[in-house]
Amino acid sequence: MLVVLLFALIIGLMLIGVPISVALGLSSILFLVVFSDGSLSSIAQTLFSAFSGHYTLLAIPFFILASSFMSTGGVARRIIRFANALVGHFSGGLAIASVVACMMFAALSGSSPATVVAIGTIVIAGMREAGYTKEFAAGIICNAGTLGILIPPSIVMVVYAAATDVSVGRMFLAGVFPGLIAGIMLIMGIFVYAKVKGLPSQPFAGFREIFDAGREAFWGLFLIIIILGGIYGGVFTPTEAAAVAAVYAFFIANFVYRDMGPLATAHGQNNTSFLRKPQSLLTAFFHPDTKNTLFEAGKLTIMLLFIIANALILKHVLTEERIPQIITEAMLAAGLGPIMFLIVVNIILLLGGQFMEPSGLLIIVAPLVFPIAVELGIDPIHLGIIMVVNMEIGMITPPVGLNLFVTAGVAKMSVLNVVKAALPWVCIMFMFLILVTYVPVISTWLPTTLMGPEIITR
Amino acid sequence: MSGSEPDKGFFDTIEETFIALILGIMTLITFANVIARYLFNSNILWALEATVFLFAWLVLIGASYGVKKTFHIGVDAVVNLVPTGVRRIMSVISGLCCIAFAALLLKGSWDYWAPFVGRQAFYETQDLPVPFFLVWLKDVFNEGEAYEKLPRFIPYFVLPLSMALLLLRFVQATIRIFRGEQDLLIAGHDADEVDNPVLTDGKSAAGDAS
Repeated sequence: MLVVLLFALIIGLMLIGVPISVALGLSSILFLVVFSDGSLSSIAQTLFSAFSGHYTLLAIPFFILASSFMSTGGVARRIIRFANALVGHFSGGLAIASVVACMMFAALSGSSPATVVAIGTIVIAGMREAGYTKEFAAGIICNAGTLGILIPPSIVMVVYAAATDVSVGRMFLAGVFPGLIAGIMLIMGIFVYAKVKGLPSQPFAGFREIFDAGREAFWGLFLIIIILGGIYGGVFTPTEAAAVAAVYAFFIANFVYRDMGPLATAHGQNNTSFLRKPQSLLTAFFHPDTKNTLFEAGKLTIMLLFIIANALILKHVLTEERIPQIITEAMLAAGLGPIMFLIVVNIILLLGGQFMEPSGLLIIVAPLVFPIAVELGIDPIHLGIIMVVNMEIGMITPPVGLNLFVTAGVAKMSVLNVVKAALPWVCIMFMFLILVTYVPVISTWLPTTLMGPEIITR
Repeated sequence: MSGSEPDKGFFDTIEETFIALILGIMTLITFANVIARYLFNSNILWALEATVFLFAWLVLIGASYGVKKTFHIGVDAVVNLVPTGVRRIMSVISGLCCIAFAALLLKGSWDYWAPFVGRQAFYETQDLPVPFFLVWLKDVFNEGEAYEKLPRFIPYFVLPLSMALLLLRFVQATIRIFRGEQDLLIAGHDADEVDNPVLTDGKSAAGDAS
């Protein structure tokens, strides 16, 4: 029952306005000092080993950095053009193209809010000009943006892998088909809505435009090939893949797209050619744009990782107290079957997702439910995908949905209006969650085919 | 967000450069290691350990900068519902909780770190070489016996340092809240607030779009 007290303390602290990281950390420290004979110095050690002992987590800052360089370097604009050329001629074409653009950007970025910002800032304005309502545009982007954590690479998957010791590569591969299916379900929803409401379509852009736009967008999209190909081909570890992706994104942004750095020019003009300014190869590293991008990515890393580090302290406390084992025994004794268990997991995550930042929540919940899942014969990769999809829904449902806030900022709407606008599309995500939960093969087929069956070590 | 945001000060510049620099170095070291492996068929032995320690420095030191700039996220649904007076009381209590957190961790960090510089000064890191400008360490801490690797108290020093900084920033923030100069300890979420920290990743993207 002490555990209930612990979680009550965490929630209580959060509600009075304590930062999530401190709420997690302080509650764990107090619990450890008061109810168990843990020492303060062991907590400091846990805090430090959050970084020194979790090499996997190191992928997170690099993925954030890669996506920052890509956004600053103008990849979003090019992806949107490509998506528009591909599907713009359907009814509701611009909205469908936005979803496709979100899916493509998700393949470069591991975060949902980043996807919303990168794509949303451009397409929401575009959709309004084309005669769509602001609410419709915001609702679409808010939902499609969540694909950022489902389509690899994904920060949340990295966190899940770090918390449960499954392979990051497998998780990434497992996200491919669910990501595509979720995107297609959203597109079908828009298509039906567009037919009913008679939404406008654009003239077909022609194959030449598809080719041109595709060639431009290719440099950005090639990133996902580097990441997945590199990990799956055994060329490098996920963390190294992330670092390579960041360096690649830096070069693409500075020297191919040239929308940032020494070769960028004022809006509307052609960017300077590298050949006319070859010294940029050196100056790019010290350019203010580079520093700013590094700094912004660094800020996001700090915010996220400080939460994760404190969640790891809480995890340490829970493990010390053998809470996961106790819960496992209780649940198994209650005769819980796999189907009921998955429902319980979904409910816990949906409720938790309302209040917590996804990565922190995963660090805490994953160790609690993982042993039960293994006992019940549920594939750890499948469980991971279920968790990620739950996090997606948590991001678009109030009161604390990160995507809602970001969309509100991008679309200049109140959070409440975004909530209303997103609601119909959240239903599609719910249907998708049920599909993913009870059809494990969607998640497990690709990793099993490419990397062999998962070996579960206890 | 914070009531009075002075122009970028001297320490802001230092902290911002620190954050950008550490992240950049981490990326380059990891990248260089991949290059070394494939092009030169060798490994940079210390790359992994160095990156991991830099990672800890980045996040732990950065956390105090986050308090200064209020970019740590939290649940603002309740605090935004209550009247201003109640909110201020709640925020001051939150501030005191944060101070307690930082103080407890500072104590823990010190307890953990102090032995490494005292009795256990012979503990070394696994792979990090001793840079030439730190050779003198052996005389001061290890009774003249040379260190083969960087002694452990150097990277671990981030613990007491960052927690002391965190404590300082939380005390300052709480005083600001108490005086009514700052509203909350956590980042705000108002629709018109484009300074939203979760947007940071894309602020640049917004700039690109315009």
